Amino acid sequence: MSKSMSMRTFLGVQTGWLVVVAASLLSATAAEAIPPRPEAIEFQPLAYTPPKAADLRKTLPDGTVVYAAESHEFPLIDLTITFKGGDSLDPPELPGLASMMARLVREGGTAELGPAEFDETLDFLATNVSVSASTTFTTARLNALADNFDESLKLFVAMLKAPAFDQQRLDVAKARLVESLKQRNDNASSILAREWKAMLYGRSHFEASQPTETSVLAIGREQLQQIHDRIIHPGNMIVAVSGDFETDAMLKKLAAAFAGWERGPAAAAPVAPTATLAPGLYHVPKDIPQGKVVLGKRAISRDDPDAIPLELLNEILGAGGFTSRLMQKVRSNEGLAYSVRSILSERVDYPGAFQATFESKNPTVALATQIVMDEIKAIRQQPVTDEELETAKQGLIETFPRQFESKPRTLAVFVNDEWTGRPADYWQTYREKVRAVTKDDLLRVAKKHLDPTQMAILVVGDWEAIAPGDLEKRASMQEFFGGKVEHLPLRDPLTLEPLPAE
Amino acid sequence: MRLMVLVGVCGLAGPAAAQQVAVEEFTLPNGMQFLLVPRTDQPNVVSAGWVARVGSVNERPGITGISHFFEHMMFKGTNTIGTGDPDKDRTFRVEQKKVRDRINQIVWTEQYERYRLGEIDDPWDPANDTPQLRSLRSKLDTLIRAQQGRGEAGPATATIVKDEFDQVYTKAGGSGMNAFTSYDLTCYFITVPSNKLELWAWMESDRLNDSVFREFYSERDVVHEERRLRTDSTPTGRFQEQFNSMFWASCGYSWPVIGWPSDLNSYTFEQAQTYWNTYYRPGNLFGVIVGDFDPKQAKAFIKEYFSRLDPGSNKPPPVVTLEVEQLAEQRMNAVGDFPPSIEVRYHTVPAGHADSYPLDMLAEVLNERTGRLYTTMVEGRGIAATASASSDTRKYAGLFSFDATTRGAATPELLEQAWYEELARLQTEEVPERELRKVKNRVAASNYRRLENNMSLLIQLAFYETLLDWREINEMPAKYEAVTAADIKRVAKAYFDETNRSVAIYRRAESEQAAAAVEEAGQ
Repeated sequence: MSKSMSMRTFLGVQTGWLVVVAASLLSATAAEAIPPRPEAIEFQPLAYTPPKAADLRKTLPDGTVVYAAESHEFPLIDLTITFKGGDSLDPPELPGLASMMARLVREGGTAELGPAEFDETLDFLATNVSVSASTTFTTARLNALADNFDESLKLFVAMLKAPAFDQQRLDVAKARLVESLKQRNDNASSILAREWKAMLYGRSHFEASQPTETSVLAIGREQLQQIHDRIIHPGNMIVAVSGDFETDAMLKKLAAAFAGWERGPAAAAPVAPTATLAPGLYHVPKDIPQGKVVLGKRAISRDDPDAIPLELLNEILGAGGFTSRLMQKVRSNEGLAYSVRSILSERVDYPGAFQATFESKNPTVALATQIVMDEIKAIRQQPVTDEELETAKQGLIETFPRQFESKPRTLAVFVNDEWTGRPADYWQTYREKVRAVTKDDLLRVAKKHLDPTQMAILVVGDWEAIAPGDLEKRASMQEFFGGKVEHLPLRDPLTLEPLPAE
Repeated sequence: MRLMVLVGVCGLAGPAAAQQVAVEEFTLPNGMQFLLVPRTDQPNVVSAGWVARVGSVNERPGITGISHFFEHMMFKGTNTIGTGDPDKDRTFRVEQKKVRDRINQIVWTEQYERYRLGEIDDPWDPANDTPQLRSLRSKLDTLIRAQQGRGEAGPATATIVKDEFDQVYTKAGGSGMNAFTSYDLTCYFITVPSNKLELWAWMESDRLNDSVFREFYSERDVVHEERRLRTDSTPTGRFQEQFNSMFWASCGYSWPVIGWPSDLNSYTFEQAQTYWNTYYRPGNLFGVIVGDFDPKQAKAFIKEYFSRLDPGSNKPPPVVTLEVEQLAEQRMNAVGDFPPSIEVRYHTVPAGHADSYPLDMLAEVLNERTGRLYTTMVEGRGIAATASASSDTRKYAGLFSFDATTRGAATPELLEQAWYEELARLQTEEVPERELRKVKNRVAASNYRRLENNMSLLIQLAFYETLLDWREINEMPAKYEAVTAADIKRVAKAYFDETNRSVAIYRRAESEQAAAAVEEAGQ
């Protein structure tokens, strides 16, 4: 509270009056002063140097790495601990175990406090605590008023170190998860996402594997404890802390809080998927007036030398909002979709995917798909224009400072870089790397990574209404892969076993 | 307004000094007002936006959804942006208008009559076109294609520079460019590098000064797809729309923001022009700038660019239709692809009403992990998978709602009873002191949290200024701190009568197989 935003008082009436006078003096010349086009405006140069990880990186006596950044605008402290490994470490028969563990670490109480008492204490302090697991990381976050930080930190570390995994809370969490599994087929978009991941990475790989009612019910406190012990310990964590504190004092506090917490080995790197995508046309039934489509293939891993050219290509093709080709052709020109874009999903340990995704009313799904496929083909045949490349480059370069726009965001970038072994000078030279890309580079990576014959098209929707295509006969689903479609079954929401067609 | 955007104070026992948002207010002679919030914790970027004090509540049957449609039109350019040949482009627009007016006339008369007589199922569906309509539609399509340079004569006829508005910003490092339309306001915003604030002033004042509603006809297909995406193809979309229309009897919140499909097809250029001249004049607009900028320079840019906006002479008409009193409980039973669940909704008060503060606190007592709904329904009795309450106070009216989904064998009716029991407790017993203190602490801390991000502060100022006054962001903490347990008990008794409620029951559709299995088991 001591360093709150400076308070200024403006009396509306007085300010308004001053403005009126000033503006009327200006108004005579204002009209001529306006440049005819935005390009005619001269901008002050904006010198920007990205922060360096080394400047913020500290080490505690026990070896724990802490990234720390002070920020005194608000009396808040944000502490995020990132542990290596998440559902990548689930045993095959218990998909989602790490996620459930994360949930129960937060919900299941500590050695000293029962779960309800723990929650009440935090809530009374107005402290937010969350723990969650993604596929490859588990993250614990504490956000507290600076005055309440010390007490909150004690509770937070006690929770991470020795969670009680209260049995009743576990039962409630499992029952709620089963309820959410029942909703798996309600929304077409969730069917699309689930089946697409299974096609890309294989249904049993952690990228795609999903809990079933049986697997959820099989989770007990023992399994939670086991995966907790693999993930949640100082030998497997990097800390980021930002907000209203003095760095030296904070480091001492953290060292004291972590003292006596046993270090184990860092978790293993995620295992690469072995499945390969089978090109073709696929369909999953869902009775809705709009078909949902995703098409694409596996592409490259994050550190591939083609990564930046492919990122620029993707901006031009479908990631660059209204400026992108897909948006202009499918939405703006033809009005066939509200959202249409292409995405590169980035993976560090194995190739991620390139995919385009959109939705359209049933009769025009084929037409929209054809336009998207044509655009992919075109960008592999003709170089992009100079203007397109320049716009895409300028976009990446000019928005670059936003990567580091807030302290928590900056620290998150550096923590991720350290865990994933990104070169230390990556961000320092990022803009030069973008500038160096040529049209030929883009054509080369398009040819290499976006071969449409190697892609799959997945449609969720009402096939009978979709397959024949539009009224004007501009396109039908016959156009793709010789009209040969593989009908995938909808899966039982609780067992994920294929359902017989209705 | 919802309580999730609360301002407050912190401390464990009573109020401390509230965090003030330092807003510099500033108004041009043409009436356009600006709120400036310079801050430096996020260096090098500025979030900038402006608000038209108009939303779906200002519409009427026949033009429902036009506010949202305008939001789309505002990205289509001016005589400078979005075209390489403004004169030829105007000719295309005039030609298109002639054809589309003709199409509308025919549909509204002939096709609507065929529809009334039961000869066709949808007067707007091209599949039901008469030969004359088909030829007009193809003529319109030809004109649109020629304007876009996709006609038979090829790119030479193009007068449109596609999505140039976005390109200019993209090249300049603009990000997160977007807009939203709600019941009470329409807001347009973007984040730009600090040195590009003048570009923002150029671009925004140009489109406010000179928008030409390019692609006025073809853009409707996009909005139809948006409607299909958000409403028709989501499990509960159309049911929620129906419930909403049932809940509000007379006031302008009864139609969806995106509009009814028939109205979306029907807007005429004249209606758009009138709407524009009424609601998009500087006296009905305000700008908000938050981030790393020099306010002196920002004011110079604002004067230089926004002074060109013509104040116009159409004053926005007042919203006069008040919601009528509800006399009897209303119920809706929905069956579809969704979990069994329930919503119970009550009419309450508009934003700023003295009772809105205790109503917000009432919702807070019920919500969150240690709140009453979670501890009794989700955990204690184990009948709900989720349960929450919300107080939604808008400019002209408000509502309070309870939402929950079932767990296991529990039915929506069981949750409904459980809700009435919670309510009875609030109506008969005052919230204990420590429980209220806890809620106030949480509300107070959220003050700081929600101010951290520039864009989120911009959006909050947009709402406060539209619904009440931007100063509410600084005055609310004291108002929430002042709410007593007796106030909460009083509003719990005042607004939650049976006759004032509407109940939506959602049940999962039995699949044919499941139904067959049940039948078989019964035999």
